[in-house]
Amino acid sequence: MTRDRVWLGVLLSVPATAWLAVAFAAPLVVVALLSLQETADPFAALSLVPSFKQFADILGDRYFLGIIAETILLGLGVTVGAVVLGYPLAMWLAGLPQRWRSVAFAVVLIPLLTNVVVRSLGIVLLLAPDGLFNGFMRPFGLARPQGYVFTHFAVAIALIQVFLPFMVLSLYDSLANLDGRLKEAAASLGASRARIFFAVTLPLSLQGLRAGVTIVFLLSSTAYVSATILGGKKVWTTGMIVWQEALQNLNAPTAAALAMIMLAWGIGFAFLAERVVRRFSPWLAPDRPRRASLALPAALERVLVRAADMSGQALWLALLALGILLLLFPLMLVAVQSFNDVPQASVAGFRAFTFKWYAAVFEVGAYLRAFEISVQLAAASVACALALALPAAFVLVRFGYPGRGAVQAFWMLPLALPHVAIGVGMLRLLQWYIAIPPFMGLLLVHVVLIVPFAISLLRSSVLQLDTALEQAAASLGANPVRVFFLIVLPNLAPGLAVAGIIGFLISFGEVTVTSFLTTARLTTLPVRIYAEASFSLEPTVHAVSTLLILATVALLAIVNRFVKLDRVWAK
Amino acid sequence: MKKHLNRRQFGTALLGAGAATLASPAIFGLNAVAQIRRGDELVVGIWGGAQERITRQHIVRPLEEKHGVKINYVLGGTPERRARAYQERGRPSFDLLYLNIFESRQAVKDGVTQAPALDRVPNAKFLYEPAKLGGYGVAFNPVTIVYDKRKGTVTSWKDLWKPEWKGRIAWPSYPGAQGTAGLLMAAQVWGGSERNVDVGFQKIRELKPFAAIQGSQDQLYTMFDQGVADISIEFGSFTRSYAETRNANIEIANPVEGQALAQNVACPTVGTTKQALVEAFVDLHLGEACQLAYAREIYYSPTVSNLTIPADLRPKLVLGDDVKKLVDFDWDYVISQQTAWSSRFNREIAG
Repeated sequence: MTRDRVWLGVLLSVPATAWLAVAFAAPLVVVALLSLQETADPFAALSLVPSFKQFADILGDRYFLGIIAETILLGLGVTVGAVVLGYPLAMWLAGLPQRWRSVAFAVVLIPLLTNVVVRSLGIVLLLAPDGLFNGFMRPFGLARPQGYVFTHFAVAIALIQVFLPFMVLSLYDSLANLDGRLKEAAASLGASRARIFFAVTLPLSLQGLRAGVTIVFLLSSTAYVSATILGGKKVWTTGMIVWQEALQNLNAPTAAALAMIMLAWGIGFAFLAERVVRRFSPWLAPDRPRRASLALPAALERVLVRAADMSGQALWLALLALGILLLLFPLMLVAVQSFNDVPQASVAGFRAFTFKWYAAVFEVGAYLRAFEISVQLAAASVACALALALPAAFVLVRFGYPGRGAVQAFWMLPLALPHVAIGVGMLRLLQWYIAIPPFMGLLLVHVVLIVPFAISLLRSSVLQLDTALEQAAASLGANPVRVFFLIVLPNLAPGLAVAGIIGFLISFGEVTVTSFLTTARLTTLPVRIYAEASFSLEPTVHAVSTLLILATVALLAIVNRFVKLDRVWAK
Repeated sequence: MKKHLNRRQFGTALLGAGAATLASPAIFGLNAVAQIRRGDELVVGIWGGAQERITRQHIVRPLEEKHGVKINYVLGGTPERRARAYQERGRPSFDLLYLNIFESRQAVKDGVTQAPALDRVPNAKFLYEPAKLGGYGVAFNPVTIVYDKRKGTVTSWKDLWKPEWKGRIAWPSYPGAQGTAGLLMAAQVWGGSERNVDVGFQKIRELKPFAAIQGSQDQLYTMFDQGVADISIEFGSFTRSYAETRNANIEIANPVEGQALAQNVACPTVGTTKQALVEAFVDLHLGEACQLAYAREIYYSPTVSNLTIPADLRPKLVLGDDVKKLVDFDWDYVISQQTAWSSRFNREIAG
């Protein structure tokens, strides 16, 4: 660790840190302060004398503890589900021929392109008493008269569906980079498919897995809209309580304290995932003293491999099919419903064909304007977020300095703080916030929401860069700038594309924080849809979603022509 | 033209400026109250969907054409709008916002929105009494029992406790207009009141197990569609649309104890600088065109008594004597208990 490298590391850490310090640290401090208030008075100035009453109330209450446990278990369940369904999908995606890749990407992204309310309604219909799922379970004697809706299972399915794309895309980059010759070598040495997966594919995709697991766990344990719609208030998550206390009861201190507790376990989980993955990939830090190898216990591995070999290809294909079906399900629903002549969107069954919902999208005009704003905002946010995240990702992989761990934790914080809490924090700062132009204000916040994803995803891409290529270029006389643009950037293209797409969709779909900050002149598309849903949802929303999906397929096809979603040397 | 003022001219100018400064608050005040100026912009916080459509047609368009003003909508749900208005008390970015009944009365008490000025809004003199509190009630949207008429009949709130509904109830979540009505009516019909809700909680517990807890009208209608539940507590207005277009088996009860009052309220903010324009907006909302459009399109009942309602609509609305029967509560107290009750509801009823 030379002195220069330390300083370079610090320098590269500045952009992301500075942005977050301006746009995120302020609301975070407010939330922290709110959590230390003794009483809830929406007009009182914040007291600077800390009181731990809120924390004591929450942690001393079995009811709250129960909900916290329930939420963490739900998050873990969703994460495991997303991993199990994510691997087959990501491997399928990475193995597809180039020309099909844009369509396949669109399939993976469909849930993210569909409004959360629409998606959740779809799952309700799927799991209802006379829904598909109950019909499927009937021959096995597992049909339930009240269906499977309004259960933890229903909430988990909905969350897996929407967070699966994050897992698949996190894994995709690692898997696309996997050297096919390694698998061939393993196969030629007599390894079965299952053995190759556990001995080659899994260990080499651990970095992607770490990013995916962290993102999915944090997102699913802060989610509240799906939980509200599909849990039918029989399922409670801490996110729902935060929303209820902060907005319905105007009890910000309790909400803030709960949010801080969620923040703590989020950081804990990210830290744990980091530690575990590092111990399982000792080759990433060859200069570090090796601890005892932490591979799976041999016996367990043998059992797993044996089981996988026996169920083999069939299980794999079944999981792949299940994953694709789950992703495609909203597409079927929105496409059919967008032509359905029904009074409200929640009607099941097709009544009559109509174009009126499409006409409404273009007629009202406000949709188009909102769409335009959303696209501009998302594009600007992604550009800023990638510019901040790329240097940060390099710091995490290549430039160590004292205190880097703390900086890294700070970068990840926005992921772990529920969006409602960020919104509540921003509300307190509203008078400063409205002094800046509205677009700039939303941009500041949206970048904060994207940056942790972008850093997490780009970090695994940077980690897999082949430094030999850079050294070769340098030895042939290329200066660092040339090396960066001719070697590093092209090799990061798929990682950047994936981070860009995810970032775009996060900004494009964000409604929780944005709905606090929206103004008459600047209403984004999801906020508009949410406003309609707050009265009664009409299938116009489905028409919007269908158009979005079509536009995405087209856009990805174009992108794919110019920026390969593959690494340059991949075949 | 002289470039410099001499001392006397300077003194006169100073005196003039002083007088103008002294007079200016009165002038600004006058402008804010009494005049609509061309080019004024109004910011209104309101729900999307049908309400946006109707108000744009019957209020925004005529106002913009008549006065050359611009009216901007901030669309969204009530909780975000309310949280923001509270944060901006005294220096609001909204001039007018729409709230539900209990939020509106509390907002007036908290100094966030104005009490109604009945003399300055011509149509306000026709308002029914409950619509004069917490702002200007623009639509009655009472909450009542809604049920599948093939499974039984309902004429009283107590009928919820009849055996035919056991295990088939979708109880509404608390807080929220429906859940609040459910809790308070349960307390009231079994001998309690808003000050003694214990009996309400107790009686609701007796109804367990519930088929489901419903969190919104859309969710409830899906439950009816799918046969998950047979009975619930919901807005009568929208349920009528649902029954007419989707599920003819659903009936809207008119219990002997009355339906629970709920209404949408137009609330001018404290500190708006467009007072006259706000009041013109509210006046049009209480006008015949807008009120009848509400009644016709979404079965919201009028809050003014001076309308002639077409015969085909009359049986579907809450009018005349039925308005007097609407059950109103001490909302200040109800709001003050909301946190405690919702915590209790989550533990005892929903869990």
